[in-house]
Amino acid sequence: MDNRQKEIDNLKDYKYGFSTDIENTRAPKGLNEDVIKFISNIKKEPQWMLDFRLKAFERFKQLKEPDWQKPKYPKIDYQDLYYYSAPKSMDDKPKSLDELDPKLLETYKKLGIPLQEQARLNGIAVDAVFDSVSVATTFKEELTKQGIIFCSMSEAIQKHSDLVKKYLGTVIPTTDHFFATLNSAVFTDGSFVYIPEGVKCPMELSTYFRINASETGQFERTLIIADKGSYVSYLEGCTAPMRDENQLHAANVELIALDDAEIKYSTVQNWYPGDKDGKGGIYNFVTKRGLCKGKNSKISWTQVETGSAITWKYPSCILKGDNSVGEFYSIAITNNHQKADTGTKMIHLGKNTKSKIISKGISAGNSDMMYRGLVDISSKADNSRNFTQCDSLLMGNKCGAHTIPYIKNKNLKSNIEHEATTSKISDEQLYYCNQRGLNQEEAVSLIVNGFCKEVLQQLPMEFAVEAQKLVGISLEGSVG
Amino acid sequence: MLSIESLKAKIEEKEILKGLNLNINPGEVHAIMGPNGSGKSTLSNILSGKKGYEVNGKVTFEGENLLELETEERAHKGIFLAFQYPLEIPGVNTNTFLKTSINAIKKARGEKELDAIEFLKLIKQKSAELKFDEKILSRQLNVGFSGGEKKKNEILQMSILNPKLSILDETDSGLDIDALRIVSEGVNSLRNKENSFLIITHYQRLLDYIKPDFVHVLKNGQIIKSGDYELAKELEKVGYEDFN
Amino acid sequence: MENNIKLNFESYLNEKNFTSSQKEIKEINFDNFIKNGFPNRRIEDWKFSDLKKIITNNFENIDFSKKEAQLNIDENLIGDLEHNKITFINGAISNIDFSYENEDKIIVEQNLNLENELSKNTLLNLNTAFVSNYTKILVKKGYQFKKPLVLFNYLSHDLSNSGLNTRLDINLEDEASLNIINISNENLNNNFLNFRQKINIGKNSILKNYSLDINETSNIKYSFKDINLEKNSHLEYFILSKGSKFAKHDINCSLNDEYGSVVINGIIDLNDKKHHEIKTIINHNEENCKSYQLIKSVLNDGAKGVYQGKIYVNSKAQKTDGYQLSRALLLSNEVEFNAKPELEIYADDVKCSHGSTSGNIDENSIFYLMSRGLSYAQSKKLLTNGFLNEVIEKITNEDVKLLVKKLTGITE
Repeated sequence: MDNRQKEIDNLKDYKYGFSTDIENTRAPKGLNEDVIKFISNIKKEPQWMLDFRLKAFERFKQLKEPDWQKPKYPKIDYQDLYYYSAPKSMDDKPKSLDELDPKLLETYKKLGIPLQEQARLNGIAVDAVFDSVSVATTFKEELTKQGIIFCSMSEAIQKHSDLVKKYLGTVIPTTDHFFATLNSAVFTDGSFVYIPEGVKCPMELSTYFRINASETGQFERTLIIADKGSYVSYLEGCTAPMRDENQLHAANVELIALDDAEIKYSTVQNWYPGDKDGKGGIYNFVTKRGLCKGKNSKISWTQVETGSAITWKYPSCILKGDNSVGEFYSIAITNNHQKADTGTKMIHLGKNTKSKIISKGISAGNSDMMYRGLVDISSKADNSRNFTQCDSLLMGNKCGAHTIPYIKNKNLKSNIEHEATTSKISDEQLYYCNQRGLNQEEAVSLIVNGFCKEVLQQLPMEFAVEAQKLVGISLEGSVG
Repeated sequence: MLSIESLKAKIEEKEILKGLNLNINPGEVHAIMGPNGSGKSTLSNILSGKKGYEVNGKVTFEGENLLELETEERAHKGIFLAFQYPLEIPGVNTNTFLKTSINAIKKARGEKELDAIEFLKLIKQKSAELKFDEKILSRQLNVGFSGGEKKKNEILQMSILNPKLSILDETDSGLDIDALRIVSEGVNSLRNKENSFLIITHYQRLLDYIKPDFVHVLKNGQIIKSGDYELAKELEKVGYEDFN
Repeated sequence: MENNIKLNFESYLNEKNFTSSQKEIKEINFDNFIKNGFPNRRIEDWKFSDLKKIITNNFENIDFSKKEAQLNIDENLIGDLEHNKITFINGAISNIDFSYENEDKIIVEQNLNLENELSKNTLLNLNTAFVSNYTKILVKKGYQFKKPLVLFNYLSHDLSNSGLNTRLDINLEDEASLNIINISNENLNNNFLNFRQKINIGKNSILKNYSLDINETSNIKYSFKDINLEKNSHLEYFILSKGSKFAKHDINCSLNDEYGSVVINGIIDLNDKKHHEIKTIINHNEENCKSYQLIKSVLNDGAKGVYQGKIYVNSKAQKTDGYQLSRALLLSNEVEFNAKPELEIYADDVKCSHGSTSGNIDENSIFYLMSRGLSYAQSKKLLTNGFLNEVIEKITNEDVKLLVKKLTGITE
């Protein structure tokens, strides 16, 4: 067998489906003040952090779980989950990578994310989050030299308390919606990034999320602050083992860009999608929000969503600073019984703000895909612009594609343009590719990659290659 | 090389080819001429394996039953169809497409695939030969191409893929005289003892540039007369109506 | 307000001699309305138009008791267009005139029985509870109307702070054709109008429906239309939404058999803090159907325009061709345009797309015109008219097109 075929076969099945047999420290099952205190205590958090959590929990108790989303799911028993699970060997934090549990290193190696010094990924600093805790951050010293802080959230709470205190919850307040508030109460770890004034981060920063333990919700929290005139590109990758049960992932990601700063946030989400009959898989209910706080700031979201049983998220930009720019580039693919309800919100508050939305949705099998988005130009946001292009591709007639944009314009000096199309791969296009020697799956992959091109181009090189392969693989067998 | 025996084809209950016979040997250039609706495009579609036809009869290519092969398998064996209406595929870069295509074929033939540098070299050489503006190759496949550019792109692909049997389905339609010359040069440069061509056309003018060894007249789904180049001239004079 | 409406309803039920089953239908619908009230913005369909708030802001009380009235009628509304007509005064028929037609081919029935239904739409509940002149027009198989049918809606002068609920069914049998002009003369104060129509278009039939809301009024108006299309039938629907203080056109079309087609063209042209909404749902339930929608809005002086349009394509409805385009011009401060163009598609071999733009008038075009000697105001007017005229040009009945141009003052 030749190499490409091998590669395809190798990738065909969810290759991240293994689980690691590691001893865990867990909080007692269930959700209550004691569990929250347990989490805060084990992380040796300051009092204000515990107060933040408890305030969120008070609020959470009054909130009702939303049900307006299109993909419905069986009721989650929030008392039947573990809210903290960490590899035992992390109880006393290892000082260096050499002290890490070899099993953990092995896990990340299998995922293609080498953490050891000798095998580090070229030019990418990685923070690896395993279940509830961050296990390793690479390239730390190099970054420190430039004043860049890239560490786990737990570490940041202790070592950079003032920064965390100043910014945490300013974009996603503890009074936000159900899942975001739950996260504020029980989040366990995640990544923290601070880029000082005027610094262009010299390498891609990356977090790799892995859900391992069963019956465990993953609630990580990421906070990225780009100070005046700085730049950072941040990558996020996710996988989980195959389990018959559904697992909840409810992360919060907050981005803050001050004057003239730019944050580029890319996600390749490949959580376990469940099996062919729709059993198991991750519920990916994530809140991602960026605040363009300063003038001339820019936040750009790029996402490639191929995994999860249910994807429900709207990475958003609040364009507060004058001349700020928000972008959202998305590819979402659903196959088999996957469901997605995803899109973005662009809230224009400042003058001369611009936003761009490019969304490509592909549904195959029995899946259901929804683009839901909001563009809101307030009466003060003079001379603002939005452009939205929203395309759907259907493969077969057992799947669905649903597009709901909410478009609000209160400013006569501002323009909004929205376009959407729904189409399929035509038989003629396939025939043309076949005639040039491509088989059905190569042809589909080629055409779909062409369909997604504008978004793929936004990804950093290392991710783009992986994403292109994922796009092809996610659709294998969907055209007969 | 190619042998067609009493080929019949129906689409949606309508009989289009009604018993067609044709033999093409290595190195030969055959032209099939016929009026609109005579079944010319159907023949090229059936040879390259387009679905949707009900086909009867026997077609062998180098001794192998062609009708049993998938479209891409036929391409791997060396059959190339220059489409009458080349498809637009948005977002797909022409170079990427060509590279994927040539490597798919090479792979199927057990040949070594081209790496990026070898491929670029080949492209450069072929576009120069065909006086084809390379810049076009970095654009999306056929998207926004003029009619002439699309046809030239087909010939470029043909030249790069170096097929054994090239079928040109009305490649001359809609071409101005310069484009026609380029297309013909492309075909002529590929002519040798091994490669064969089946040129499907409505008009004789392409045949002034590509001298066929044989000319066949297709009417009502059958070849009603075969001959040499002189037949094309005669046809041009008399017209299809009165030709029997 | 709620108590008054309850009292209105009790006395209304007592006045009329409804059969016990009709009474029961009305009571169930009324209870549902009371339970849920006027829709607010938490109801998805009313997200951009909070009727509950609008009602509270405009009425201390709405009187739903019956108002019979005689009226001298000004028929100059539509100029010299030759037409048939049905005149409604306060929702009741006062005159029917089919003088251009073969009257054997048309049946008009009144005071029909209501079917037993309970919609989730509380305004339909309210309509069913209070409607008393339920009318049905039937056009018999193969009959083609020679002249348009104008449905005049008049309100008597004494009507104010009143609620009016009407219901009209229009049924075209196979191979029939009819052009309808809906026009109102409501130059009156502060009423809540709740119009419901149910339309069926038979096989190979054509209906053209022109709804013209022109007169300046302070009325709050909701119009609900439920339209079913059979095989190879065609609907042309034109809306001019301009006069009322608040208006919502709620149009539901179902293409229930092959080769049906729907064209909806709408103009929202507002000033003076008016608030209008066009909401459409096109259900493509079978193969080879087409729908096309073009909605253009021009907003001045604190006005608010809304377009919510949905194309739904069932998994059976292959070869669907669906298109919607909404464009809005925002011409002064404090205006707002909201759009929700929605596609919900379960078949793969379809062509569906939508586009939506909102923004200011193109300054380059204004500059161009001014460089040719026009004033700013003239240029703006010219461009606005040109913008709206594109919709009017889509009217296929030439007489109606002329009428609309005359009524709006919009020409090329």
